Amino acid sequence: MGPEELQQALAPALGDRLLGVEPFAGTAGRVRFRAEGALDLFRAVLALGFTHLSTVGGIDWVDHREVFYIAWSDDRKQYVLLSADLPADAPHIESATPVWPSANWHERETWEFVDITFDHHPDLRHLLMPDGYEFHPLLRSFKLHEPEELEVKTRHV
Amino acid sequence: MAGTASTPKPVAPVSGSDPGPELPMAGQPAVPFVEIEALRTQQFIPAAKEALTDLIAEQGQAKVIRPVFNWAGRNSLFPLHWGLACCAIEFAAAFGARWDAERFGVVPRSSPRQCDLMIVNGTVTWKVAHKLITLYEQMPEPKWVIAMGNCATGGGPFRTAYSVVPGVDKLVPVDVYIAGCPPRPEAMLDGILRLEQLIRDRKE
Ligand code: SF4
Repeated sequence: MGPEELQQALAPALGDRLLGVEPFAGTAGRVRFRAEGALDLFRAVLALGFTHLSTVGGIDWVDHREVFYIAWSDDRKQYVLLSADLPADAPHIESATPVWPSANWHERETWEFVDITFDHHPDLRHLLMPDGYEFHPLLRSFKLHEPEELEVKTRHV
Repeated sequence: MAGTASTPKPVAPVSGSDPGPELPMAGQPAVPFVEIEALRTQQFIPAAKEALTDLIAEQGQAKVIRPVFNWAGRNSLFPLHWGLACCAIEFAAAFGARWDAERFGVVPRSSPRQCDLMIVNGTVTWKVAHKLITLYEQMPEPKWVIAMGNCATGGGPFRTAYSVVPGVDKLVPVDVYIAGCPPRPEAMLDGILRLEQLIRDRKE
């Protein structure tokens, strides 16, 4: 399956919320979409046989944020990369948990590190950081702290 | 050569012709071993008790009993059997066949309630910090802590990271620090021996 086939297969379900499909090394293609079409896209991609969501992640591009999903199809032996641009101010997108339950922890991690909120997530709380941790450490605006400074702010025990 | 050579001294004959002086027990009926033991115990325990009582009356209880407890404690340390990061590999190696830390009486136990030593062998993150404190509080007194490796000592290579406790002494009192990334098993054994020195000199 190549980018053109992906475009044809996904266009009916998404319409203008599909921004395009580009070739991307090692995958069937990179699907760029608008955040409003997230759930429809996830369902359509699952229907194409991409049953295993291997990762969810986020990137802070300073002027905007990007959220991406990588799914694997056992039948096609192929990955697909889905990515959406979100505004830098209060970025949020629909959770993929209803479609791929494995998105649960990946989305918690993405929220915790790059501060992207996943709407209707069943359990959006800290995964790798202690409860009450105040920072989103993979944002570009995060500065390395003096250990003593950080310690006071995260002390929760 | 001729000047250094001395005349050989006469050597006693080695042959069995002379049996030597007679042993005091010779000729008496043999006493069974068990009875000898009983006899010794009957005499030894009252004598030891008397000597100890005199010593305690003279020097005070703490001064006499404390070294006995210290001796017992330092020769049977039970560290908590857990691993936090890469240092745990060296921790495991130290208890393996080559370094064999058990010859110092150090045997890892899996439950904190059976331990008196916590070896913090790795990076302590803020996420695990309160679990570490819980484990420490579950250990019965008296208890000791060894910070093993640079991470546990002061955060190590991750000192300025967003998720790492800069030194486990921020959380629990530490008795011995072992430097290294990771410390070799010899260094860990050295740390344990230093802790045994500390326990030996414990006053109360
Ligand atoms: S001191 Fe070095 S070897 Fe030990 S836990 Fe830290 S990084 Fe790993």
